[in-house]
Amino acid sequence: MVVKMVSLTIDGRAVAVPAGTLVVDAAKKAGIDIPVFCYHPKLDPVGMCRQCLVEIGRPLIDRATNQFILDADGKPKISFGPKLETACTTPVSEGMVVVTDSDKVVAARKDVLEFILTSHPLDCPICDKGGECPLQNLTMRYGPPVSRFLFDEKMHLAKHVPLGELIYLDRERCIQCGRCVRFQSELVDDPVIGFSQRGRALQIVTFSNPGFDSIWSGNTTDICPVGALTTADFRFGARPWEMNASASICNHCAVGCNLTYNVRREAKAGGKTVIKRVMPRQNEMVNEIWLCDKGRLAYHYMESDQRLEQPLVRKGGELVPAGWDEALNLVTEKLRSAGNRMVMLVGGRLSNEDLFNLGELTEAQGGQKLLYSYMGGGDLVSRFAPPKGSNLGELGAGSVVLVVACDLHQEAPLWWLRLKQAVKRGAKLIVASARPTRLDKFATHVVRYAYGEETRTVAAFLPVNVAGAPQVIQSAAKTLTEAEDLIVIYGSDGLYLEESTALARTCAELLLKTNHTGKVNSGLLAAWQNGNLQGGWELGFRTVPDLAERLEKAALVWVAAADPAGDDPALAKAVRRTGFLVVQELFLTETARMADVVFPVLVNAEREGSYTSGERRVQRFYPALPPKGIVPEARPDFAIPALVGEKLGIELEDHSAALVMEHIAAKFAAFAGINYQRLAEVAEQWPPVGGSDLYYGGTSYLNRQGLGVTLSDVLQGESLLNPAPIQTTQRQKPSADALPVYPIQLLYDRGTTILPSALLHERLVQPAVWVHPTTAAEHKLQSKARLIYEGEAVEVAVLLSEQTPPKVALLPRSVGLLGYWLEA
Amino acid sequence: MNELQREYPEEIERILAKYPPENKRSAVMPLLYLAQRRQGYIPPQAIQEIAQILELSTTEVASVAGFYSLFHEQPEGRWRIQVCTDLPCALRGADEFLKRLCEALGVAVGGTTADGLFTVEEVKCLAACHRAPVFQLQGDGEIKYYESQSIDTVLALVEELRCKAESKKEGA
Repeated sequence: MVVKMVSLTIDGRAVAVPAGTLVVDAAKKAGIDIPVFCYHPKLDPVGMCRQCLVEIGRPLIDRATNQFILDADGKPKISFGPKLETACTTPVSEGMVVVTDSDKVVAARKDVLEFILTSHPLDCPICDKGGECPLQNLTMRYGPPVSRFLFDEKMHLAKHVPLGELIYLDRERCIQCGRCVRFQSELVDDPVIGFSQRGRALQIVTFSNPGFDSIWSGNTTDICPVGALTTADFRFGARPWEMNASASICNHCAVGCNLTYNVRREAKAGGKTVIKRVMPRQNEMVNEIWLCDKGRLAYHYMESDQRLEQPLVRKGGELVPAGWDEALNLVTEKLRSAGNRMVMLVGGRLSNEDLFNLGELTEAQGGQKLLYSYMGGGDLVSRFAPPKGSNLGELGAGSVVLVVACDLHQEAPLWWLRLKQAVKRGAKLIVASARPTRLDKFATHVVRYAYGEETRTVAAFLPVNVAGAPQVIQSAAKTLTEAEDLIVIYGSDGLYLEESTALARTCAELLLKTNHTGKVNSGLLAAWQNGNLQGGWELGFRTVPDLAERLEKAALVWVAAADPAGDDPALAKAVRRTGFLVVQELFLTETARMADVVFPVLVNAEREGSYTSGERRVQRFYPALPPKGIVPEARPDFAIPALVGEKLGIELEDHSAALVMEHIAAKFAAFAGINYQRLAEVAEQWPPVGGSDLYYGGTSYLNRQGLGVTLSDVLQGESLLNPAPIQTTQRQKPSADALPVYPIQLLYDRGTTILPSALLHERLVQPAVWVHPTTAAEHKLQSKARLIYEGEAVEVAVLLSEQTPPKVALLPRSVGLLGYWLEA
Repeated sequence: MNELQREYPEEIERILAKYPPENKRSAVMPLLYLAQRRQGYIPPQAIQEIAQILELSTTEVASVAGFYSLFHEQPEGRWRIQVCTDLPCALRGADEFLKRLCEALGVAVGGTTADGLFTVEEVKCLAACHRAPVFQLQGDGEIKYYESQSIDTVLALVEELRCKAESKKEGA
């Protein structure tokens, strides 16, 4: 697509920008600052605050010839309007002359600021925004030193208005720019805050239940150009200049949002350095400048007093504290005798470096490298993922995205947001799901299937099968077959491991058969439940359907960052029967309680490392907290296998994550060429944020620490679809009246890394099964029912939900319940 | 079906029919007006019900109700006497008119009489500057304009309305 360029002059400087660019953006690109409050480069312009007033002149055009009228020097005659214009709502035009520094403009800026400050409380000394406040900065730079308004006539309004329990409003500070309201309705489709009243009485209100019911609410505090909106988490927590910033990566889901931890030493914490808040860090290829509230607020597990503090060794049936040497020696001895009868089971919270060292130790033993995940197919994602240069932010006309069995809004919120925006740019969305989700509204095709029909539904899109399919499938199949780019995203809605593995294979087959492989912006993505499950697949770990059996048979099981016993009674049984159990963990999980040796580990904020996102982007995180901080005895996960390896004569790096990455790059082709320097490389991004541009894009951090590197493509071909189609297990129905139970993934689960963040408790999913009211009546289900798993039943609360399809029960994951059937 | 739909099934259908189904949010103003008819104000439940009918968020409907001064979210008097006190009206004695009206009814601006019948409010331009003092009377689902008023004419009207309220009571 050829973009028409438009030439104009801003403050005497010649500028060429694509047609349609707004004057304010054109100036910014030329390095000229036009101050704004209501304008935000990610939102549609409204021209409400008038701060961006500039002089705009346009060449006079001879109506007869449609040519510019020239003056004596042969230059176009420029006509300036009688009034100033808003640079944020005016698109550039050919020959335009913009003046941003004339006396008239300077006076207007001063007047608008004086007006905006009419009733502003100027309580900067106690305001959370003070120090990073656009209003403060722009007043210092452009504002009047005194006001002509009467001090005594300032409005005094409520200063502590809770918009729900997460976000507080200070009505006095609000300058009514509407960025928050527009962000919620335009960008994230949660119009749960709005303006009420008008004029000086105007205020931000919410009538949702719970208040400000949106998983994106924290972002409004970033783009608020004053201190009107603050999070309950950070409010009155610290001054911006007292804190250090450290780059990191969120590991709560597959997206891999770039973020910044703000930390400071404080007396309240006994002189320790603590995390004060989590802020988004710009990466236009991943999370742009946003974070979901889970990523922003669910970090308190890191400073939980429940963290494991020292190694534990089982003595006389009890786990008792032990020294590192004792614990390491014991594990080494047991590993020696176990030989290849060892199983390494790893979770998706570990870094690439952790996974590599754990994997190397396992391979040296001849043991099994197993991945703990209820989703399969990561090996196919390795081969079929969109290659380097792909960017969900660039999808538009010609792009098609198929989302299968995935409530993306809950499973990978940023992907949901980016797909929604792609649809706005002209991309087509096909949603195949068993229940309504927040994506349906933006889809060109919605294909509804019954739970259990996921793989068959995708198979129906295949060119060989499509002929006899229902109309909606035929039409959707035509759309995706003819697509220039096709991305297929699968999730875990209603799926267990085997079903998910089978689904992934069919999705990959669809990409292959419709010629959508090996092309930028085409490929397969999985909405993993953790930040680095894809890294596990890349580094050779695999899910297995017979996990319980393998755990039970092993002479030694080593579990890292996973709690199989806590999640699944069958796995608990298997773990209990295993020969010797080693666990490296943050907390004393159910699995750790059963262990023979437990090693305490560091959280990501205490160390460095890297994750591989769902899009196969390797991204670095940096230490935010000083070593020997919260848990002085704990070690990074990768050090533990290295220390054991040393005793076994296996050489592994135990100190530097950067060196581990070099070993990874040497061994795994996809990582070839990746090192910590490359991962730290940055490039200029649009829109500019942070620094002196706070007023423009908000307080998101500028990315100075690395945009990450996408793993290299692995060659593709028909044979890469191997292994053969997966057979899924048929489960025995315990009684004629039993309802099948399907697992679903919700954002605010009750996982170990979520629960310690008390602020989120009111929003966490309740431990209950969801049933449609009609189905509940038909099956005589009362408020309690029996949840059956592997022949055993537990009592469970029943929640009636109109959104649940008939004849099934849905069970949110990570709430401490598991079951295949529901009985009255 | 919610309470509003049960109470005004035909009206709601008629209102919705005026707008294309994909833009049914446009019906928010007439529906708010409808919801205000019975009690003279829009209770929170009605806001929720309108949101349900139009597939909007409660906050969106509440914002519209909050923006317009002719939508009321608090129960006040049965009739609202809304006096314009903008500059041209002030030049023709609107301030004095308002003051005396308040004194006669024994309320402050914005207040409601003890019998719950009248609320006196100050409003912006009613577009009859040359016939000030002017007020509009809102109540019983209607709006009426009264121009070129004096304190005597308005008190006569108040008396008339009081009688009306009284006779209704006796009639019932």
